[in-house]
This record gives sequence, C-alpha cells and structure tokens, in this order.
Amino acid sequence: MRTAVRFPARVSLEQILDTLARDPDFKQLVTRWERVPPRRASYAEFPAWLDGRISATLRRRGILSLYSHQADALESAHAGKHTVVVTPTASGKTLCYDLPVIDAIAKDPSARALYIFPTKALAQDQLTELERLAKDVDIDLKTYTYDGDTPPAVRAAIRSAGHVVITNPDMLHTGILPHHTKWVKLFENLRYVVLDELHTYRGVFGSNVANVLRRLRRVCAFYGSHPVFICTSATIANPEELARRHVEDDVVVIDQSGAPRGEKVLVFVNPPVVNQSLGVRKSALFTGRDIAATLLASGVQTIAFTRSRVSTELLLTYLRARFPQPQWPHDLVRGYRGGYLPSERRAIERGLRDGSVRGVVSTNALELGIDIGALQAAVLIGYPGTVASTWQQMGRAGRREELSAAFLVATSLPVDQYVVQHPDYVLLRSPEAGLVNPDNLHLLVQHLKCGAFEIPFERKERFGTEDTPGVLSYLDEQGILHEADGRYHWSAQSFPAEGMSLRTATSDNVVVVDQTDGKQRVIGEIDRFGAPLTLHEQAIYLHEGRQLQVERLDWENAKAYVREVKVDYYTQAGESVRIRVLDEFARQDSARFGRAHGEVLVSAIATIYKKLTMYTHENIGWGKIHIPEQELQTTSFWLSLAEHATAGWPRERVEVALAGLGNLLHGLAPLLLMCDPHDLGLAVEVRSPHTELPTVYLFDMTPGGVGFSERLFKWTDALLERAREHLDSCGCGTGCPSCVGPAHALGHDVREAVADLLSLR
Amino acid sequence: MNDLRARIAQIVERDRTLQSKPGGVRGSEVGTDRNPLYAMADPPASGRYPIARGPSVRADGSVHPFEVREQRIAVDDLGLEIVGRGAADPLLLAHLGLKGDPPDRWQDVLFLDTETTGLSGGTGTYVFLIGVAHFAGEELILRQHLLLDLGAERAFIAALKTEIEPFRACASYNGKSFDLPIIRTRFVMAIRSELTIDDSHLDLLHPARRLWRNRFGSTSLRQLEESVLDDGRIADVPGWLIPDAYFHYLRKRDPAIIAPVLEHNARDVISLVRITDRVARAVAAARTGRAPDHAPAAFALARVFEHTGEMDAAFACYESAYYDGDNTLRAKLALAFARHLERRGEVERALRMMETLVELGLGSPRWREQAEARVRRLTRKRWRSALRTAS
Repeated sequence: MRTAVRFPARVSLEQILDTLARDPDFKQLVTRWERVPPRRASYAEFPAWLDGRISATLRRRGILSLYSHQADALESAHAGKHTVVVTPTASGKTLCYDLPVIDAIAKDPSARALYIFPTKALAQDQLTELERLAKDVDIDLKTYTYDGDTPPAVRAAIRSAGHVVITNPDMLHTGILPHHTKWVKLFENLRYVVLDELHTYRGVFGSNVANVLRRLRRVCAFYGSHPVFICTSATIANPEELARRHVEDDVVVIDQSGAPRGEKVLVFVNPPVVNQSLGVRKSALFTGRDIAATLLASGVQTIAFTRSRVSTELLLTYLRARFPQPQWPHDLVRGYRGGYLPSERRAIERGLRDGSVRGVVSTNALELGIDIGALQAAVLIGYPGTVASTWQQMGRAGRREELSAAFLVATSLPVDQYVVQHPDYVLLRSPEAGLVNPDNLHLLVQHLKCGAFEIPFERKERFGTEDTPGVLSYLDEQGILHEADGRYHWSAQSFPAEGMSLRTATSDNVVVVDQTDGKQRVIGEIDRFGAPLTLHEQAIYLHEGRQLQVERLDWENAKAYVREVKVDYYTQAGESVRIRVLDEFARQDSARFGRAHGEVLVSAIATIYKKLTMYTHENIGWGKIHIPEQELQTTSFWLSLAEHATAGWPRERVEVALAGLGNLLHGLAPLLLMCDPHDLGLAVEVRSPHTELPTVYLFDMTPGGVGFSERLFKWTDALLERAREHLDSCGCGTGCPSCVGPAHALGHDVREAVADLLSLR
Repeated sequence: MNDLRARIAQIVERDRTLQSKPGGVRGSEVGTDRNPLYAMADPPASGRYPIARGPSVRADGSVHPFEVREQRIAVDDLGLEIVGRGAADPLLLAHLGLKGDPPDRWQDVLFLDTETTGLSGGTGTYVFLIGVAHFAGEELILRQHLLLDLGAERAFIAALKTEIEPFRACASYNGKSFDLPIIRTRFVMAIRSELTIDDSHLDLLHPARRLWRNRFGSTSLRQLEESVLDDGRIADVPGWLIPDAYFHYLRKRDPAIIAPVLEHNARDVISLVRITDRVARAVAAARTGRAPDHAPAAFALARVFEHTGEMDAAFACYESAYYDGDNTLRAKLALAFARHLERRGEVERALRMMETLVELGLGSPRWREQAEARVRRLTRKRWRSALRTAS
C-alpha cells in the first residue's frame, strides 16, 4: 500500500520565489523577473436561445454563467458567422465550439459537425470530453474519431450515424474527401466545422490544409451545405488574416478573454558563460534541472518542457537521481511525451490530481490543449520557438486563481539568446504571424488534381487565386484531366491524394537509415536540397547526441546508410551556392540597404568537406563530395549593402561582415516568421550579379515558397532592429554562434564589422 | 514572371518522375502507344457470341453521349441446365451466395459486370461500361451501356437506373467489393440517388471459390472459363489495360479502340451466367447424392448444406470428401462427419473413424483433445446401447 507522499519541508511557492529572488548566484542569471497581476473574470449569461437541457447541465456542474468570450463566440457562431477565438490556455475554449454544436444537434438530430484537430492525441481527448458532456445533457449525440486507427468494421456506422466526426487534416485529405459519396449524411447536414489550434496550420502544412479546406467547401457546396467555421488559436499577430486564408470568407475575431487568471511570476534565466571565446554557456538542461529540483523538493507541482525526446529522457534521469528511492517515491517525477498510450497519460493525469505525481517532464506533446490539471510551476528548457508556444507552455502552470511561476531557461541558440535578453519580445504583444500561401503553385496543382478527382471542375470555376482555368486546361492537355461538356473530369487511374503528404512540400526527402547492430532503422529525413551538406559519404551525422557516419549515400533512391561511430571530430561541408533572380516582385532602397523579394533559382553544389576536431576546430583532413548539383526554384528576400555603407573597406572585411550579417539575420528571422530555422535558406554574394552589390539572400526552403520572403520584405526594419538589439546585448566579445557566428571560423573582426554595417558604432 | 504553363509543366513532370519510382504510384496517368491494345488494328473476331458493332459517331459528326448495345442469345446456345430455366429455388440461391430476400424467378435477377476508369475506387473513378443481362422467355438479353463522353454521365446513369429498377436482385462476380460500391458512388455523384438493387445480391465469387479453390491455380472468371467451361479466350484485353484504353478512346474517338473492351465485358457477363449455372449444377448433383469429386469442394458444400438444413446432401458431401480427401482434410471434417454418422445411428462407424484418426496422430493438440473426448463419448454411447440391447 502506498503511503502519502511527505515532503520534509513544505514551503509555499511564494516563499521559494522569495528565496530565489534573494539568492545572489541565481540573481546573476536572471535577465527579467516579471510579476503579471491577476485578472478578474468577466461573466455573461447563457444565451436565451441555448437549449434548456444544456444550461441546466452546466449549472449542475457548477458552471452558473459563461465567460464573456465564450458568450461572444456562441452568439457569433449561432448567428452563422465564421468565428476565431484567440484566448490564452485554459480559458475554456472548448465550450466555445462544443456548446453551439450540442445545441444544434439537440434541436435538430440530423445536424452534423466536423472537428479537425492537428494531431490524433488531441482528437482522443476531445472525444472523451464531448461524450461526457452530451451524456450529461442527455441528448442522443454520437461522436466518433475517424482516423488511421479507426477499425474498418465501424467505419460504415461512423459515416452514416456520427453526429460529430473528429478527424485530422491528413485523414480528411486521403480518407474522407476522395470518398465523399460515403458521407452523404455528414455533408448534407454539416452545420459546423471546428478548426482547433488554428495557429499550427501555418507554413507548408498550413498551406496544404488551406487547400484541403477549399476542397472541403467544394464538397459541401455539392451537397448544398454551407457550414460555419469555428476556429481557436493561440495568440498570434494575425489571427484574422490566418483564419481568413483558411476559411476564405469574413471572420469574427474574439480575442478579449473573460477567464480569470491568478498572479503569475515569469522569470527569464540565462545560464552562465563557461567559455568566453567560443560563447559557450552552461547547458540549459543543467540549469533547468536545478530550478525544477528546487521547486520539487519544496513540494511545488512542476512541469518541465524540453525541445526533444532525448532531452526529456535526460532531464528525467537527472531529476530522478536528485530524488533517490526509497526516501522519495519512484513516480515522484514522470515523463510525458508523444507516443505514450492514452492509458499511461490518464494515469499520469490522475497522479497529478491526487498529488502522488509531483513533477512531469514533457516534450511539446502537452503544449496543445491536453488537460493535465493545475500545476504551480513550469520550467521551459529552451525557447519553444514561438511566442505562442511559450505562452501555451507557461500557461500550463496556474490554471486556477492562485500564484504560479514560469521559468524560461535559454540555450546558446541565437533565437534563445535574443529572447532571454529581450524579454519584452515575449511579454509585450506577440509580433509573430502565422503565414500560409495556399496559392503556392506546387501545392495548388496537387490539390487541384485531388479536387478534380472529388468533383469535376466547371470550366470557369476558381480554386484559389492563381489562374485556375489555365492550370485546368494544361492538365487537360496532359491527359490528367478530360474536358467534356464544360467540365474537367479526372481521367487517370491513379488516386491523387495517395502518397501526397500534407506535412511536406514534396515527398522528395532523403531517408537516414541507421544500420548499427545490423538492423536497418529509419531515424530521420532530410530534404533533398539540403541533404548533400549533411549526408555526403563520410559525413558525421549527429542524431540525438549520437555520432553516426554516413557509409553509403544512395542518391538515386534517396537513402543514406549510417552507422554509429565514436570519433573526436565533426565534418563540415562546403558548398557553392548560386542564386539567379528570375523575377523581382518588389524593391525598396534606403540609405544603407536595398531590399527586395522575388522568385529565384537556387543552385547548390556541395564541393568538399573538412574534418574538424571537436574542441579546437583544427582541420585534420578533407575529402571531395560527388553529388550532382541541386536546384530549388523558390521565393527569396534579399538585402544588399549600399555602396557607401562599405566604402573604403577591404574586400575581406566586406566578406566577413556579409557572412556575419547573414548568420545574424538567418538566426533571428524565425522569430518573426513562426518558422523553424531550417525552413529558411541562407546565401551571401559579395557581388551579386543581380544587384551588383554585396547581398544576403534568405530564401524559402519550400519549392515555390510559403510566403516568408514577402513578409521579410515588409518587415525588414523590424528584422534589422532586432539584429541591432541582439548584437548590442550579446555577451560575447568578438562574435559567437548565438549572434554573428563564431569568430574563430569567420574572422576576428566579424562582430565589429557587422556592428559597423548596422551602424551600431 | 515565368510562364505559368512552363512552371506547371515542371511541377507535373516532377510528380510523374516521383510516381514512377519503384514503390510509388503506378505511373499510368496517360495512355501511351506502348499499350499493346492499340497495336491491334482489327480486334479479333469474338468467339462464340458475335457482337454487333454499332457506330459511335452520328452521321452529322456529333458524338452520342452514350449508347446501348443489345444482343439476344438463346438459352439453349448457352448450355444452361438450371439457371434461366424454371423457378429460382431459394435454397439454391443461398448456395449461390445470396444475401437478402430471394427473388422468385430467374427473370428477376440482373447479371452485371462493370468496366471502370480505375481500380482504386473513390469519387474520381468512373464506370464507363456496364453490361447487364437478364432472362426473357427462352433468351438471355445482354445490354451494354457505354458512356461515350464523361460529360454525359448524368444521362448515362439515369438510363442505367431505369434499366436496373425492374429487377429484384443482381448477380455479379466480386461485385460486393468492387462493382456495386463504384456504381453506388456514381449514383450519388451523377443523380444523387441511392442504389437498392444489391439488397439482394448473388456474388458468385464466394461459391466459385468454395468449389474451385486450389484447383486451377486461381478462381478468376477467365480461369474458370478455361477450366470449368472449357471455353477459354483467345485474345482478350487484360483488365489493367482497360482504363488506359478508355482514356485513349476518349481522345481519339476511334471505335476500334473500345471494341475489344466491349467484347471483354460481354464475355464477362455471359461467363458469369454460365458459371452461375455450373455452380447450381454442382449443388443440384450433390443433392441427389453426387458430391463434387474434388474433396475440398465437397467439404465446402457440405458446410453450406448444413447451414441450409439439407442434412442428407450435407452427409453425402461429407462422406465423399472424407473418402477422396487427404488426412489433413479428414481431420478437419471428422468431427462434423462423425456427428452426421451418429445422427444416422452409425455410432460404430463414427467411433472407428475417430479412433483411426487419433491413432494416426493427426491434427493440432486442441483438435486431438476434442477428438479424444468424442471417442470417449462415443464409446460410452456404444456401451449403453449394447447394455440396452442386452437387458
């Protein structure tokens, strides 16, 4: 039998924070200690039209009224307006769509709703919640998840009988839309479409999803339904724009939260520098462990977020070592990451509620609205990548009206360093935007084919803003479509949605196959364009802290075979990148810089690789790389230096400054674009054939682009301003990987030269 | 700005190279002249049943949206013994794989087979040819609906609906999982209508498998024509070429392209009728005590007879399967066969059979357990009956 967990010293969170604030060692690491005041709830009555059974049930559950934003969302959805609800974590977003849906079905049992969640795990949680509510209200509401895990035997029942079908965009794309005739009941009576976590539908994935939604609306129109979209989103700069691009209609934005919030302390922590010259800091994992251990030892329920699975496991090990058995219970700290079974997750959630589990270490699996109950503190190891995710993770602590704390521990990455030194970036209103480009021709053509498979296109029909008739007639000439009687019919044997992933722009990736231990195991994928640099033969490929050597690269079949090795060097490949500007969309010159964006053809050929020793970076060997030149046609932003900005500089200084500026901008651009650093490519040309000036290119790694370059063009000033701030406050002396790049590799005056360019001096 | 078409061309080309990779989707979006079908200048004359080849282009040059070709074949010419003659026997229909209410007359059954633009199903796969056949008097009337233009699908499906409506049941070969779902999809797509013909459906695939599985290598309709009907096809379009042939026809409008497909479809429907008759004959023969000489087929029939409650026929089939079959099959059917023997009062024979099989050491441990239990029970029964006789 389990005894209650007893902690030696039960200290209140208030007291711990107080101690930490007065600890001189800790104080040195803190770049900001922010107290966010509590906010009172703002309530509203249940709408008069809401089915009496629903309000009665909510009252029985102790919910006597709605929060103001819930009431606003209900009114808007009920009035038939597309709605996007943008409020913080734990503000009761679910009710914003569950209530209109249950109400519609209570009044008309033939009404249907489609819930779209970005992941399967979220769908499961939602199913449970909705079923419970419907049961309490005592209406006959059948809810099903329809995804890859749904057994074939029950699919037929779901198609005809499910009032609410919960699915994900991928299943909608391959499983539902191409078979819409099996879903007649759903599409004829579709009243609401719920798009949860709208901000995750950005970039390539979002651009694909926007096209899937275009197809969904075509199918609905075929069956005569015009569903109302209810979206929810984390806080981003452009919820209306993002929702509008997905819904392609007017959208009502509800962003005034009426939910209460307890007082919150937010602490920004920068681990100490351990190697001044290389700009290396103490591991964020260790610093984060110390903070989490302090909190846990005092009985504060704490959640720690890491950015990868491996870090999750490492941190879990470290923390368990701090709380050895038998004096501490084994499950004091639990791991929680993607891939856990629902039953395991429920067990952890139960443990948190009854207090037997005091701490959870998680990857971002928890970020997306899974209900894990109220915790008192959150420790974020590393900036989660976006302000939206940061608030979602911080929001995991303090779901009730009491004091909570969140610590953000920065790593050495440029983005982390920027954020920890400029906390206002997170604390003030989010400047980051969810970007999509559904009209990217590459994606559009694919979805047009899927659309034609679903319902023939009318000759004058528009699908997106590109020249739809032009694409249709081209596909007709190619024999993929067949025009007859003014309509374009699918006329091929293949099934266009099959094998077309929504998550990547092309299915053209190089797969990394680990053959250590004689077994073959796929451990990763790298886009074909970037693969020559990291997966050439003899390359040391780092994966989850392991060193793997590429033994064979099968370029034809896009497979790299690797095997684990233990060596004291790493490899660095050099490539020659040429950029040809095909079309300049817009250009604007200022005193020191010229900026432009347009369409480019990037040709890259990997040339040689060097072997460099791990700590001293000495060159101990090199080899040639034999991989054909890669081409990428995409959109790019470019920034050129006006002639007088570098007047009188020796060529070497211009080169160094340009490389440094490129690294700095490439490191910081993801802050504005809500993207991963790998989504952007970087190239510099000391004398660009197009601008005839020293030029930095930041290009979209997705063929055709998803809109990053245009946004960078519009936001150049903001980007340069962040670059100035960051360089000004970076703790390194001469340049480090967190800002302009390592001085030892680029040149000792790199930081100074970039500072000159940005007129910091 | 680049020329839009050039860019699309690039994208489409890239997809195609991706799809033609091994493991990718079969790159068959466009018919090419490599298709051997197009090489056939003059399609071979049909075998036994000539097919009227009507013009598909009107005199004024306009294309018929769709056309219906009809041919009538005397029942005698088809060599039918049961199907199409007399009333349909409900028990027999059960053997023919019927799901749903049995029709009363053969005239109520519509035999059908479709040709489609793809094999994967889904809303973008069209039915462009459907052959339907029914009995009227002493004739089988075969009607082939051919869609000449995808734009005319609505009229094509509406005509098909009229054609189908008078019938109470349909018969097909693998229609349950292929033809009917696709027709159902087309009904929704073209005329937003439901399909009810397959509420009663004889899918011959399953009974044919029962009789002829593991006998001729496959139970495809073509194989059965050759092995069961002894009437193989000399020149025939392979099924996987048919979609491309149709796409090619849509562009070229040359009736010679589609003629072999019409021929193929006509043969399919007629063979379906004849195979149905062969299944029916096997069932009828078993009822009169002549079980199929192929032991696995006899065993499979025995089980269906048990299901329909025809115990004498079931017994005959079990007996035949037991004597013709190998030991594995014997072990498989022994328990059921012993039950029949017991019911017929042949306890001694049942016991001898079970004892022999157990001694041979056949079957799985679980089977042996059951068999030994049966031997014990039979032994007790024999002893009790001996006791009764003695007292």
